[in-house]
This record gives sequence, structure tokens and C-alpha cells, in this order.
Amino acid sequence: MSRDGWRKKASEDDGWAGRGGYMAAKISKLEEQFQKDAPRERQKDGTSSCIFSGVAIYVNGYTDPSADELRRLMMLHGGQFHLYYTHSKTTHIIATNLPNRKIQELKGEKVVRPEWITDSIKAGHQLSYVQYQLYTKQKGLKFSSVCVRGKQDPSSSHEPSKPSLNHPQSDSIKPQPSHTQTLSREVLKSTHANHKDNFTERRNHQLDVRLNGSCSIISEEDAERPRVNGIHDEDDDDDDDDKTCALLPKGSQNTLLTNGDVHSVNAALKPQDSFAELQLHVVETGSHQSHLPQTESRDQEEPSCSSAGSKANSHQRSLISTASPAKQPGLHNMQKDLHPKPTSNPGTSAAPQKGNLHDQTRVRLNGSHLMTPDSSTLADSSNQAGRSGKGTEDGIISEFFSHSRLHHISTWRNEFSEYVNALQSRSRAAGGAVFSGKEKLKKLKANCSSGSLMAAPQVRQSCILHVDMDCFFVSVGIRHRPNLKGKPVAVTSNRGPGRVAKRTGANPQLEFQYYQRKQKPYRKEKTDGDLEMTLSPQRDEVPSNGVDLDLAALSMAEIASCSYEARQAGVRNGMFFGRAKQLCPDLQSVPYDFQAYKEVALSMYETLASYTHNIEALSCDEALVDATNLLVELGVTPDDLARAIREDIREKTGCSASVGIGSNILLARMGTRKAKPNGQYFLRSEEVDDFIRDQPVSSLPGVGRSMSSKLTSLGVSTCGDLQQLSISRLQREFGPRTGQTLFRFCRGLDDRPVRSEKERKSVSAEMNYNIRFTQVEEAESFLTNLSKEVQKRMEGAGLKGRRITLKVMMRKPGAPVEPAKYGGHGICDNFARSVLLAQPTDSGQLIAAEAIKLFYAMKLDVKDMRGVGLQVQQLEGSYADPSGQGPSRGRSIKDLLLAKQPAHSPRKEPLAQDGLSEPSSSRAFSSNQERVTPPSSPPSTSSDPMPGTSKGGLHHPHTPNHVRTYLNVSIEVPSPSQVDQSVLEALPLDIRKQVEQSWRHREEQPSTSFHPSTPPRTSSSPPPGPSLGTLVLQLQNQPGQPCTTGIILELPDFSQVDPEVFAALPRELQDELCSAYRNKGNAQAQAQAQGSAVEQKKTFPQLKQPVVGKLKRRYKKRNASPAKKGPSPLKKLFPENSPAKSSPSKTLPLPPIHPDLKTENVQCLSSPSTDVLETLSKLNPRPVPTLAGAYEFSDIRTLLSEWVTTISEPMEEDILQVVKYCTELVEDKDLEKLYLVIKYMKRLMQQSSESVWSMAFDFILDNVQVVVQQTYGSTLKIT
Amino acid sequence: MATLTRQDLNFGQVVADILCEFLEVAIHLILYVRDVYPSGIFQKRKKYNVPVQMSCHPDLNQYIQDTLHCVKPLIEKNEAEKVVVVIMDKEHHPVERFVFEISQPPLLSINSETLLSHVEQLLRAMILKISVCDAVLDNNPPGCTFTVLVHTREAATKNMEKVQVIKDFPWIVADEQEVHMEEAKLIPLKTMTSDILKMQLYVEEKTQKT
Repeated sequence: MSRDGWRKKASEDDGWAGRGGYMAAKISKLEEQFQKDAPRERQKDGTSSCIFSGVAIYVNGYTDPSADELRRLMMLHGGQFHLYYTHSKTTHIIATNLPNRKIQELKGEKVVRPEWITDSIKAGHQLSYVQYQLYTKQKGLKFSSVCVRGKQDPSSSHEPSKPSLNHPQSDSIKPQPSHTQTLSREVLKSTHANHKDNFTERRNHQLDVRLNGSCSIISEEDAERPRVNGIHDEDDDDDDDDKTCALLPKGSQNTLLTNGDVHSVNAALKPQDSFAELQLHVVETGSHQSHLPQTESRDQEEPSCSSAGSKANSHQRSLISTASPAKQPGLHNMQKDLHPKPTSNPGTSAAPQKGNLHDQTRVRLNGSHLMTPDSSTLADSSNQAGRSGKGTEDGIISEFFSHSRLHHISTWRNEFSEYVNALQSRSRAAGGAVFSGKEKLKKLKANCSSGSLMAAPQVRQSCILHVDMDCFFVSVGIRHRPNLKGKPVAVTSNRGPGRVAKRTGANPQLEFQYYQRKQKPYRKEKTDGDLEMTLSPQRDEVPSNGVDLDLAALSMAEIASCSYEARQAGVRNGMFFGRAKQLCPDLQSVPYDFQAYKEVALSMYETLASYTHNIEALSCDEALVDATNLLVELGVTPDDLARAIREDIREKTGCSASVGIGSNILLARMGTRKAKPNGQYFLRSEEVDDFIRDQPVSSLPGVGRSMSSKLTSLGVSTCGDLQQLSISRLQREFGPRTGQTLFRFCRGLDDRPVRSEKERKSVSAEMNYNIRFTQVEEAESFLTNLSKEVQKRMEGAGLKGRRITLKVMMRKPGAPVEPAKYGGHGICDNFARSVLLAQPTDSGQLIAAEAIKLFYAMKLDVKDMRGVGLQVQQLEGSYADPSGQGPSRGRSIKDLLLAKQPAHSPRKEPLAQDGLSEPSSSRAFSSNQERVTPPSSPPSTSSDPMPGTSKGGLHHPHTPNHVRTYLNVSIEVPSPSQVDQSVLEALPLDIRKQVEQSWRHREEQPSTSFHPSTPPRTSSSPPPGPSLGTLVLQLQNQPGQPCTTGIILELPDFSQVDPEVFAALPRELQDELCSAYRNKGNAQAQAQAQGSAVEQKKTFPQLKQPVVGKLKRRYKKRNASPAKKGPSPLKKLFPENSPAKSSPSKTLPLPPIHPDLKTENVQCLSSPSTDVLETLSKLNPRPVPTLAGAYEFSDIRTLLSEWVTTISEPMEEDILQVVKYCTELVEDKDLEKLYLVIKYMKRLMQQSSESVWSMAFDFILDNVQVVVQQTYGSTLKIT
Repeated sequence: MATLTRQDLNFGQVVADILCEFLEVAIHLILYVRDVYPSGIFQKRKKYNVPVQMSCHPDLNQYIQDTLHCVKPLIEKNEAEKVVVVIMDKEHHPVERFVFEISQPPLLSINSETLLSHVEQLLRAMILKISVCDAVLDNNPPGCTFTVLVHTREAATKNMEKVQVIKDFPWIVADEQEVHMEEAKLIPLKTMTSDILKMQLYVEEKTQKT
């Protein structure tokens, strides 16, 4: 019931609505009166106390003593009396009788009988109200009420802020965020209440709490109960406490469950809450213990809670307020302080010790998880801890895999398969191998059973031996440590006491709860069907029994293997070390020793291989041996053989092995189970039926957790049960293949052969440890590295695959950012995507490319990535090439084992190249196609360094850039004709001299300053890039004269010079050009040019003068900037007499002529330089195009209109300006404006009476169209 | 107010969001205006405060959305030069190309107060231009289809290959046939210039459509 709801009801029922302001005023006035009266009353009476501090009552109905009397009592004893009920402030309602309706209304409130007050006063302290409750069914007894009370709490924490309630402790305690916890409040109350002799009171309290606790449990599902209790198992050994505290986990669970999703938001708060809980809980426990006969412990606790102990409280508060994880150790210290008898409680007693540990130590414990077990220095590992978390550093993947236990196991299996393969092929090649073991056995047999040869020949029956080392890692680990033999030993990376610091953001409880919930189905089955046996050991290891608020401090390092002694104590492989340490306190830990594992495994395989080569490697410590032929040959019994093998192994490795013998793989494996530890078991065919009937289904291969749970739901727990199911039923449930397999397996039938070489289904590399990306690029490079790892493995296996699957583990939404296990993945959602390639590959690059594609397609937040795996399936052997594989096969076994990666270089090389070249070529291709550039012309005759056009398209943006930037660095000195004399005069003298000197210098060596006859485009320097060919400015380095860098114009071939343009040039420019061309020594072109120039000059005498003036002015304006354009070729050509003459057909260039080619078009006078114009403009990022300074369209319109209407015959120069403007518009990508301008001009000019205007428009349009055509590949549609 | 460069946080994204939103509206409208699909599948909606037509065919909408989703990363990085809506006849020869030519100024000065309303005005103008563009265009032959092309700057295609935004919805290199249009006429429709974006829309139309 929410507060709002109540309020609403209250206001409706009591008719208080609308009187809020008045009522509020009245209430506060009454309160004031009450406060004023209180001291007076106290003086009068003299028996005042503070029993009821923090209590505010409201009297409902008739009571005895009367309401007035109660008011007086409250005044006397520090409480408050409310004449009107206020939900938020009133803590208790006093009544002796209530109508049903009101009970409903006040559900969730503390309605107590008035005796509570009188008795409390009599007792001298505040009694628990619970016994005085009017209706026992009300608040505090129901689960739902917890919330309500929780809500109410702020009120109580609000009150103490009033000065009148200056209880020494109320200050320190009240403001704590106790709102989530009923119990916490209760406990707080009990602590802040009068401590003198409140012992019995607290006792009551506990009773109350216990009531609550049991009630809440009833309201819970049965299945959850053990868990709820379990949470505190560690802290409380007393049964009493167990129940008492049941409420606590309840509450915490509640908050955790409901807040699970927002947890990350609240993260800063949450741990504190639980800490508060823990803290309070400890207080509770302390008090509890104190009520046990040990009074001295109470005395101990008393001060800690009352006077000096308020320090503890304030400590706690500071812990809450600072909320920094660094304070957490403080909690443990606290625990220690408060715990009177740590020894009585091993679970918590460990905590204080832990709490004293230095932070750094903990870092080491964490950090060393994956590091080589040799103890590392603190600093080093803490560095490691800080540095890790990205998983991106180079080599981290290979480092990871070189340290990963799983990886070792997985690769070894392959290696041993290879080993066996190699043995076989070698023996085949040698025409028979020497089996030393076999010979020995033969001899042995001959020795001891020479007499009874007849016993040996048996019915030829297949016989499989399953050889399995006993707790391999452990026995190898303690090989040379005899002192550890017979003791509980576990192989794990954690070497400390099994405790680590809690990390920020980690929330182990949540994770445990998550896994518990996940486990629930199984657990239910467990209780339902008495299936103790079906539970695989793994299931037990699930921390269902170990959830502990303190668990945060337990080491999360997993136990790789543990000795049988440890297993007896309940420790299981895969269990977290911290938990195991709790189960078995004297558990010894042994570090990993991969080298030793390798040695032992190798000698085990060598031993086996000395008997036969029919070996299937299952893992590094496990192998199947097909002994059928061997037995027949030797004539020994399987038991003898097994014994011999075991003795051999023990002798050579110092470790024991167990052997299961059966007629097939399945039975052999089952036999091993029975044989262990250090034994052998021959499952004879006649006893198979009886044997297998009792086996749990989970012992069948392929029956994992999910399948066994499914089987359980079918009522199947043992193989005997399974035998009852028909094959059709099984196939229906599990699919045809699995169904049949199950059907056969449960009857002990297994026709799988012992295969020395198993076909691989997939090659993969996966890493879900320490994956913390912050950026996409990190993930990308990680994927690339992972692909390399996959490539390595595929090459090692000589396989290629077609299907690439990317598996990603993402932090489950709402899961804590930092998982309980350091660097672990925590609670995750798994995602996978796959892609099928056209052809099999083992190229890491290709795999990476695909993986990255998949990765992007998944659209994941890299920050939440916790694990990445790459898998390649649909494998095809690449054995086709014997040269690659042959030698590696034939090499010595040791080499094979030690050198993990056989050299496949001859095969690898071209592949890698493939991977390289393919994308790039396709890229070039696509870019070529994607761009709208007109189809490139056939390979130019110029000395284009680029072999193909497509590649050139890719590259040339860079090179010319370089050239250009280089050019821009130096100051270009324009030619004399281009310099405004006034500007020159304004220059400082020295600079002016330099400029003039450079001119002089240029004139002195004209032949060198201009490029000789070579056409500009064939010049060696710039690749085709921006085809600025005709105008590339080059600076000549003139040694000795640093400042006189002259400007060199690459002159277009003279044939390219439009005579009309030339004619339009100012005099000086013409002269300059003429001399330039003359100097070029190309007599013919020169003569031609001059001839035409002269001719042109004659034909335009009238035009020339005005043009020069105008042009020059504009020129200066435009060229004020150093980014100088070349001289004449810029200027747009202009047809002489009749614009009609220059029909489009003439002016239109053969459309996409590459500039490169143009220079070769000798004598093509009509070829326009429009493309030059275009490319030129690209060069200079020009400002907004303007027409005679006008920019806005309206201005331009006015201008144009003025032009057309006022002048009867347009001047060439003006038309040229318009064309120029239009061209600029095109380049500025403002087609809209161009379109408007053209249309406007069209209207204007074609309306004009003069046909010249019409022709002028045609001319403008033609030119614009050319530019547009050049730029966009199509022409403007002018309607 | 604040002067932001392209590198500034998610600025490219803002532009891409705005632009893709606009392109979606524009594509729908083009399809409607150019009669690529029967007008029955279009509904009148309001965008940029002007009525627009939007298809209500889920598959078509999905296609457009997916396409633009793939365009977006390019725009974000300023790698898209042009986004082209090509309308093709039955033989898959383009008859009209609606070209959105995009360029983004390298330095952006953003005045947040006026920016958005200003951009919206410009986009609105463009939408209005599209809605009346049939006046300047010839009718399309029946049975037209459409496709969307993107012209990228430089080597952007390389990345596109890698970053497949939607799985199995990759970009492919356009056929020459789809890109090239014989005797095309160019009709500029609208140019907009704002602080964040410069874009012009023009149509290239085949001279002889039938």
C-alpha cells in the first residue's frame, strides 16, 4: 500500500480535502503548543524521561488511560502526541478498539494498545510494541508490510532532527539510510533506545523479528528457503540466528530483485545499503550472543553501542556517506570490533583477518589469476590489474591463450591426436613398430603363466581401455611435494587465504541470485523427484549452498582440479577457491605447472604407445585404447593389461591412473568412473545390464545439464528409467539422432570406434576473460588478433573453413558492470552471428574482415562486451597439398609436441597475399565505379606513372596535394606585367629590390626559366590528379639566391593558345607571352601564334582598349591574393564577329577528353579551354561567386536587367564576365541560382529587340552548358 | 555562438540525423510525385510544416529506411558526395536521377537558437520544390522502379564494405548502366546553404524517356 494511496483515502474519508492549508497550520500550531507544554509538564511531574523519543502517537477512539492522559505521558517521556493523524509523522496509533473499516484503513500502521505506553513507562524503557499490537495480523507480520514500513521510515529518521530529541545516539543512527530495511530500523531502535537495561527489551525485539522472519518465509516459495537461510549460514551458526536473520536476506533480496534493472544507476548506493545491512546484522548478532549466558560479551558490546561505541556508528555512517570502496575494509574491522567471539564463528572470523589485509595484497590476489603461478611482485601484478581490462594490447590474445588452462587442454588434445597419428604413420612407414611395453608384457606373461597358456585364448571380443589420470593437475602438481600427499589439495591460481577485496561495481550477490534463479528448475526437480544422484557434481558446485553476504570477499579463482581428499570435503572441480576454502579450511593450493603437465601427459602417451598405436587422445590426461587386437595377440586378460599399463604409467610419471575396461567406449568410460581413484574396473558384458541400470543419465556422454533436466521432466533419472522409454518417444523428444543415441547408450550400446584421428568440426578461439573495450577500434583490433589466433590454429590443424561465426558475450542489461570474478564476464547474454563464405579459408585477414563485418552488423555497445569468440566451421582439409603437411607429419614426435606450429610457410605465403590483394583490388574497382567521373580515357600517352586508371583514381588525391602544399610555401613573384605598380612602390625598399631583381633575373635566363619545348603535361612531376596541367606553377630552386625564387609558368603548347584570348590580353601580357614562346624555341608554334595574334589584334582594334582597362582593374582585384592564377589562358575565349559562328558543335569539346590528352591535340584551334577553367577553379577554393560585386539574386537580376535594357549591343567583355560568373556558380554547386540566372537572362535577352542579345544569350548558354556538361555529365534543360 | 569543428562530439551525427530524416521524406515524396508507385499507397503527412506524401507500404518503407540507415554513417563522416535517387524504366535504364549533392563546411559555427529553424526552412523549401518538380519534368514511362545510389568521396567504399550497418544489406558497386544516362538534361531544383550543410538538388532527366 503506497503512501499516496493512503493519503488519498484518508483525505477522502476524513473530509480533510481542501483544508490542507488550514490543517497544516493547525497541526503545526498544536505541535508547537505541545512542545511548549512539555517542559512545563516535566517540571511539574519530575519524573520525566526520554523513553519515547522518536515516538509520535495518535489516539484513535476511546482509550484507557484517556487521550489527554496519554498526551501528558508522552510529554513527560519525550514522545510526541498528534491530535490529528499524519501518516508521515505519526509512528504509532493508540487504540483499544477499532472498527473493521478503520483496520483496513490503517493496515500497515502500528496500532497498539495504550498499555504499551503505560507498561513502557513502568519498565522505564520503550518496550517492543509488538506484543501490544491491537491486531496481530497487522503490520510487520506480513511480507507486504515490509515495504510499507520501509516507506514510513523516513518519517522516523526525520523526527530526530528536531532539537527536542537529543538523544545521544539518535543523531548518529537515525540519518542512516535505513529505509530499505525493516529490520535495520528495528535494530537501530533497539540500539539507540535506552541502553541501561534494555536487555529484555531487545530480547523481545528479537522475538518480534523472528516472528517476522518466519512469516516471511512462509510467504516465500519453499524452494527459496534454503537460499534465504543460506545467505547467512556463514555468519550465524546458531539456529536461532538463522531464523532471526531470515528477514534480512529477505529484504536484501527484495531490493536486489526489484532494483536489479536499475542497479547500475544506483550502484553508488547499493553496496552501502547492503553494508548497512551487514553492519546492522553484526550488531544483531552481537546482541544475540550477548543474551546467551556470556554476560561479559554483553559488557563488551555495551560500550561499543552506547557511549564509545557510538563511534562505531559514526564510523558506519562515514562509511555510508563516503561510499568509497576503500572504506570497505573498515567494515571488516567493524565486524571485528563488534564481534565478541570471533572464534565461535569461522565464517566471519575470517573476515576480520581479511579486512586487515592490505589493499595491494588483494590486487595481487586478483591479478595473479592468469599469471604464471610463480609468485609475482606486488607492483607488477597491480600494474597488470590496472593495465588490463582492455584486451587490446598487442599480443594479449596470444598471451591469454598461452596462459589459459582451457586453451592448453584443448590444444593438447589436438597435439596428442597428432602425436598418435604421427606414431601410426611412422610405424606404417617403418613396416612395424617396436612396442616395448607390449614386449615386456609378453615376457611377463611368458614368465608367469607359461603353464596355463590355455587360459588366454578367449572369444575374440572388442575391448576398449579408458585410461584416465587421477586428478591429473593435482597429482602432477604434488609429484615432487610428497608432504602434500594425502592432503586436500586444489590446483588454482589463488594462493592466498581465499579471500579478495570487493571491487567497485561488482555485485556478487546479484550474480549468485541470477545463477540461482537460472538453476531453479533443476532445484525444483531435485526436491520433487529425489534425484540426488542425477545431479552432476557441477550442479552441486553451484553456489546455492554458499551464498553469503560475505562472499564478496571470497576468492573467485576457480579450482582446476582437486584431490580426492578435498573432494571428500565437498570441494569440486570448478568451484571457486574461496568457497572451497570455507568447505575445507585446510585445503592446500598448488599452482599451475603447465610444463609439468606437458611432460607427464607426454610420458603417459608414450607409455600407451608402447603397447599399441590404436589410441584416441581425449585430452591431455585421458585416452582410449583399443586393445582388442593386442589382447588376442598377447593372450592376456584385459585386467592384466590394464594393470601393466597402470604400473607403467605410475612408474614413469609418478602419478596414478585409473583404467576402465569395457566392450565399447561407453562402457569403458563408465568403468573408469567406478575404477577411480587409482583403480581399474572391467565392466564385463554380462554385468553391463545390471550396472548401467543404476547409472544416472548424466553419466552418459552427451547428456549435459539441459538434457538431463529435460529427461528429469520426463521422469527419467537413471539409465534404467531411460530404458523404459521407446525409441520413438526419445526421438520425438530429442530429435532423431540424439534420440537414437540415447536409446542405445542407456543399454550400454555404443558403436563408436576408437579413432586415432578425429574429424574436427570447428576451429575456434574464444576469450571471455578481461574483455573491457572502450572503443570500437579496440574491438576491431581485438577481432583481428583473434582471427590471427584462429588462423594459427587452422594452419596447425591444416584446415580451412567456410562458415565464420562470431560469438559475443554482452553484459546482461542490469547486471553489475564489474563482475564478481576479477576480469570475468559476469552475467552475460550471448549473441552469435555467422556468415558463409564462398570458399573455405584459413586466412586470418579474411576471417577478421568478415568478423568485423559481423561485429558491426550486430550493433553492440563495445563497453558491454565481455567475451568474444570466433569459430570457423564447415571445415575442409587443406591436406591436398602434401608439401605443406608432409614434413610436419614425418617429423619427430618431440618436435611436434614442442614446436606447436609446424611451418606451413609455402602454403601460407600465397594465401596471405591473396587476402591482401583481393580487397584492395576490389576496393579500387569499386571506387572507380562509384565515382561519377566520366569513363576515363584510354591510357594516356603522357608519362603517367600510374599503371592503371583505377588505381590512379585512388592515389592521386595525395600526391598532388603534396606538390601543391610545397608550392604554396614559397612566395610567388608574379611577372612584371601582373604587378600593380602602386603596390610595388608601396613595398619596403628591400623587398621591392628583391622583386625587381627576380624579374631581371628571369629575363636574363629566359630559356631556363621557361620549360623547354616539352608539353607541360608530360613533365615528370605531378600525376594526373587535378588536371591543372597547363597552369601548374613551379618554383625553381635557385641556389645562392634564396629570395629570388622566380615564377615559372608552364606554358601550354602554343597550339593550345586561343588567339582570341590572346588578343584580348593586355599589351604587356602579350609581349611577355610572346617572348616566352619565342624563347621556347618552338619556331613553328611561335610563328603561328604570333601570326594569329597579330591577325587578331588587327581584327579587334576597337575592342581592345576598353577591354584592357576593364580587365586590368578586375584583374587586380581578383589577383590581390597571392593565390595567383596564371595569365591569359584563364580568360574565356570570345568569338569575334558573330556569336552564331561558334556553334555548339564547334565549341563543344569531344566531351570527356582527359586533360592529359589535350596537349596532344595539336592545331585544334577550336578546342576550348573550358575544362581548364573548371579544373582551375577547383584549385582555388574561391569565395562566393559574384557578378560585378553582386551576390544576391535580386541584385544580379537588377544588374542584368540594367545591362540588357540600357545597352543596345553587349560588349564582349561583359558577356565574358557573365559566363565567368555562371561558371563560378557551377563550381560553387549552386545550380539553382545558375538556373534562375540563365532563365532570367533568357527571358530578358530573347525579348530584346536586338538579335545581338539573343545571340549573346546563345553564346552564354553554350558556354555554360559546356561547363555543366563537364561537371555533371549532362546539360541544363532550358525550356 | 559556439564554433564547432567536425571533430566535435557527434556533430556529424547531428547532421546525418537531420539529413537522413530529410532524405527519407524526400524519397517518399519523389516516389509519389514521379508516379513510381500508385498513389494509393501514399498517405498525406505533415513534415517541416508542409504536407508531404509518405508511402504506407511496409516493405517499401523498410527498404528506404534500411538504405538510409546505411547512408548515415557515410554522411556522418562526410564521405557521401551525392545521394541519388534513380528512377529507371522497365529495362532498368535510368530516366531520371534526383541528385542530392551534399557538402559540409569543414568549420561549423553553430548558433543553436536559429540553426534548427533555419535548417528546417531550407529543407522545407526543398521539399516544396520536389513536390512541384513534375511541372518541369516529362512524364515517366509506366512501370518505373527506383534505386538509391551514393557517390562517395575518395576511398569511403572501403569502409562501407567493412561496416555493414545492416546485415545482408550491403552496398554494391553501381552498374555503369544505372549511373550513365544518355543525353541527360539537368534541371536544378534547389540549393540550400546553411551553417551545417550545403546541399543542392537537381534532376537529370533523359531527353527521350520512352
